[in-house]
Amino acid sequence: MNRQEFETKNGSDWKAFELQLENSKGKKPTLDSHKVPSRFRKICYDLSLAQYRMFGQQICDRLNGLAIVGYRQIHRKRGAFGEGFLRFFLGTFPAAFRREWKLFAVASFVFLGPFFAMWWSADKEIEWVQALLGAEAMSDIEGMYGKDAVTVEHLRQEHGSNFMMFAHYINNNVGIDFRIFAGGIFFGIGTLFFLIYNGLYLGAVVGYVEYAGDPELLLKFVAGHSSFELLGMLVVGMAGLKIGFVLLAPGQLSRGEALTRAGRDGLPLLIGGACMTALAAVVEGFWSAQPIDTNVKYMVGIAFWILHLLYFLFVGRGYRGA
Amino acid sequence: MLDLKRRIDTLQMVELAEGMEIHLRTAGPFLRLIAWFLDLIIEGIALIFLYLIITLISPVMGEAVSEGVYLLSFFLIWWFYPVFFEISPWGATLGKRALGLRVVNEAGGGITMGASMIRNFIRGVEVMLPFLPLIVFFHPRFQRLGDLAAGTLVVYSKPRIDPVIPGPPPLEKVPVNFSLSREEEAAILAFRYRGGGWSEARRVELSNHLEKMTGEIGLKGVSKLMGMAHWLEEQR
Repeated sequence: MNRQEFETKNGSDWKAFELQLENSKGKKPTLDSHKVPSRFRKICYDLSLAQYRMFGQQICDRLNGLAIVGYRQIHRKRGAFGEGFLRFFLGTFPAAFRREWKLFAVASFVFLGPFFAMWWSADKEIEWVQALLGAEAMSDIEGMYGKDAVTVEHLRQEHGSNFMMFAHYINNNVGIDFRIFAGGIFFGIGTLFFLIYNGLYLGAVVGYVEYAGDPELLLKFVAGHSSFELLGMLVVGMAGLKIGFVLLAPGQLSRGEALTRAGRDGLPLLIGGACMTALAAVVEGFWSAQPIDTNVKYMVGIAFWILHLLYFLFVGRGYRGA
Repeated sequence: MLDLKRRIDTLQMVELAEGMEIHLRTAGPFLRLIAWFLDLIIEGIALIFLYLIITLISPVMGEAVSEGVYLLSFFLIWWFYPVFFEISPWGATLGKRALGLRVVNEAGGGITMGASMIRNFIRGVEVMLPFLPLIVFFHPRFQRLGDLAAGTLVVYSKPRIDPVIPGPPPLEKVPVNFSLSREEEAAILAFRYRGGGWSEARRVELSNHLEKMTGEIGLKGVSKLMGMAHWLEEQR
């Protein structure tokens, strides 16, 4: 069979498939939708044949184009958002966390080390803390958690200020999460920087409140959202560290391949961690600053920490992925 | 998969689950840079509009609420503008769409939200350290680090059909009495069917490389090569 014969014999099939792809761009199935797979198979077959027999560039290009568009149509993913959501939070995410538990140890160490060091240093020599915070942050902290502070509850009296703070926390904290993750691409240095810096800064804040303010005010504010926020940041940090580590030591794979795998493995951690930080923003915006009894706040905070522990230890055990 | 070095085009061969090979035409760094600039401009305009709208509704909704709306919208535009468009059926941000580009996974299909997040978030770091995006130039598929981490490619969205501009019709058939590999045969046929788009001098230049095969140089070499292509085609 030469090229002309091939083209005359099969041209009508190609034309039909072309038309069908044109018509089926909308969401509704058309009358001949059931013919798509068989026509697509025919295109694949003809393309292989044309490539093998070298029937010239024009035919190959045309069939190649049809195959690409057809593949896209057949393999487009649709819907099932609710199911995907459940699968993710009841299986994929906690399972990914347990699989990468070593990274969690590293991230925690990198964050908690500077945190406690800074906190401890406030007791011995306050100048380190003062140097890190700067005058403006110190007066802010005294305003919020000082001994005679206008408490956070009062600042939230204005209409809509809870919502505003919620939006602020989303924009700020989830944005930082995304940067922590992306920083991993520079051999993990970006991720390490953000984790260490946040550790130092938060440690300095706690240390300074203990030095110059009323620790109870701070503690009752952060109790509710602390678990979501700290763990969320560490989980995203795990994803960033993962990328950094494979770039340093790709093992048997090429760096490109290793990076692709690290991206795929780290993705649940990025999404899950960012969702935790978003939840932290909800709690921080609408609960933490409410005028509620201090003990209730402590109880809720402790309950959240225990729930996190149980969630990461036990949820989705035995889940093998979809 | 064919040997990459011997190929005459920059097309990317991808084998699909259906057991066939398709060719993807990956987009080069220059076009993608322009697409990115367009996107930056669009994002800037969107943020300016957002600011205007917030200023207008602020007296009605109260300062705190409108500030919150502003922060949330800013967050969404800043981080999710490219993601939103890349996972849409277009598969491309507005800038890429304007230039006829599309983001696909390594099999040429649409990308997931996660993949899009990875590739776009990592770009933020890549542009901070301007030597990182240069990796694009050294990668055979023009993938930057974000693309590698997400497993994505940027390709031309419409499969381009190259115009066939055959060279001057050959006057004779020249039998090819030695064996050619498939790639060599394909290259000779491509020479015939693209030759019309080149200048005389370019045709001569290319056919001179085949002096050993045709035994001629210059214009004679060209017509002999054309004759060979003609013969090869008639064989089928």
